[in-house]
Amino acid sequence: MAAPCSRMASRPLWQFITNVRRTGLKHTGVRQFSLSYACRAATQTSSKTESVASPWKLYGAVCLQRLPVISQERNPIEDQFAELMHQMELERSLLSEHEQRLLEDAERMTRKQADNYDSDEEEADYGGQETITAQDQDDTWEQNLKHFQPALRDRDVGGTPLGSVERCLGDSLVLLVQQTVAKENIWLLPQAPWEAGETLRQTAERVLSSLPEADFKATFLGNTPCGVYRYKFPKDVRTESCVGAKVFFFKALLSAGSASQKEPFLWVKKTDLQGYLKPSYLEKVDRFILNL
Amino acid sequence: MASLTQLQLALHSRTLDRAALLLRASVSVKHPIQGSLAFSNERQYRTMPTHGIGKYKHLLPKEAPKKKKERQQMKQIKTATDAEYGTLNVKVSGYDMIIVEHYSQYIHNLCNRLGVKVAESYALPTKSTEVMVMPEQGTKMYVDAILKTHERIVQFSQLNVTLCPIFMEVMLKNQPEGVQLSVKPHTEADYQARFKARPELEGLMAQIT
Repeated sequence: MAAPCSRMASRPLWQFITNVRRTGLKHTGVRQFSLSYACRAATQTSSKTESVASPWKLYGAVCLQRLPVISQERNPIEDQFAELMHQMELERSLLSEHEQRLLEDAERMTRKQADNYDSDEEEADYGGQETITAQDQDDTWEQNLKHFQPALRDRDVGGTPLGSVERCLGDSLVLLVQQTVAKENIWLLPQAPWEAGETLRQTAERVLSSLPEADFKATFLGNTPCGVYRYKFPKDVRTESCVGAKVFFFKALLSAGSASQKEPFLWVKKTDLQGYLKPSYLEKVDRFILNL
Repeated sequence: MASLTQLQLALHSRTLDRAALLLRASVSVKHPIQGSLAFSNERQYRTMPTHGIGKYKHLLPKEAPKKKKERQQMKQIKTATDAEYGTLNVKVSGYDMIIVEHYSQYIHNLCNRLGVKVAESYALPTKSTEVMVMPEQGTKMYVDAILKTHERIVQFSQLNVTLCPIFMEVMLKNQPEGVQLSVKPHTEADYQARFKARPELEGLMAQIT
């Protein structure tokens, strides 16, 4: 691939505005994102007047992640600790206004039932009955609570297919795509060759938009790549001008998207990557995927 | 004797105090009948040898004169350069104050540990939202609940461009439920919004113009 000739390539400088929400379980199963940014193009000369072409082919790849939608399940230890802390807080806490009202009302009722009830004295102190007592309010709130049905935590009871975005809502998933590289059909992070005149980040954006039959809206987290994987071609393919390839990975977070089920997509957790990726590739990719 | 005392007074009276103390003590021991004089706690006259006994302010180190608190000025808003972002505001908002505060503290600690300089960390006033419910039979709405939205802002500057994606990802992955996160560049309008309006001043200004 010819080296880029001397040209003013503007590298846009970001001032981004990201608005992230953790909503309840929605049908999209994806965290809502809204991104608006103002590009301030700082003209930077990325001119390289090299007479010798670089022997490496450049690829831009995107590591598209879907962030978890709901919180993770707790360990048994975490469960026990949470219960213990809750119990301790309850024991140390003071009564709230509502609870005090409940107690006062109950007390007043018992005093009313007693034989030596002096209604004039009571009403003089208190100044008239209220229409709704605290107990009534409590009952209405209990009724409302019973009507509320929270959605199920775990949707893939039946086992959603691996290609669906909505599996494993508690973990973050990475997108894998099957592509033909060197006449082999392998699973890898979606990538595309770099073309002259564009930044590597634009290559990554192009990759995302050019995925067949899929419509993913993603937010890129920055201009800098997060990882690099370089490999040399096997000896018979190697020539003077291309010794191997370097793949630059960019991180992006899924904001909205859908894909048809037929296409070879895969959303996997980090622990499952081992079953799909080649070992040397996996080693480099593992370094920048966080498993939080 | 009088001239001697005057000379001693003119000098730094440190040694004099010491001597006077000793003298006083000895006096009180030798003549307990005259104890009333020793315990009278009166300042001695300027000619007396014990004048200035008990001074200590000259022994303390000099303090800088206390300045009056200046009017709060806005800190410089840094602009973005090629290698770093400018002043950014991370706003954490939600209904549950405990979780919101804990999350903002977490972000602050994360910045400290990753070496990002935190310029300011403050809270915006709480906003109360009343939830009104209209029952099916009647027409009048009544208040069902009051929801309070709490907001905390962590402001940092000079976030390294290479660090940014990692930082953002860690923040987003650790975001608790019920909390909204928003990252924006800091503007002067944001700063001015924190101050209370002064209606009298504005009235006077309107009258002038």
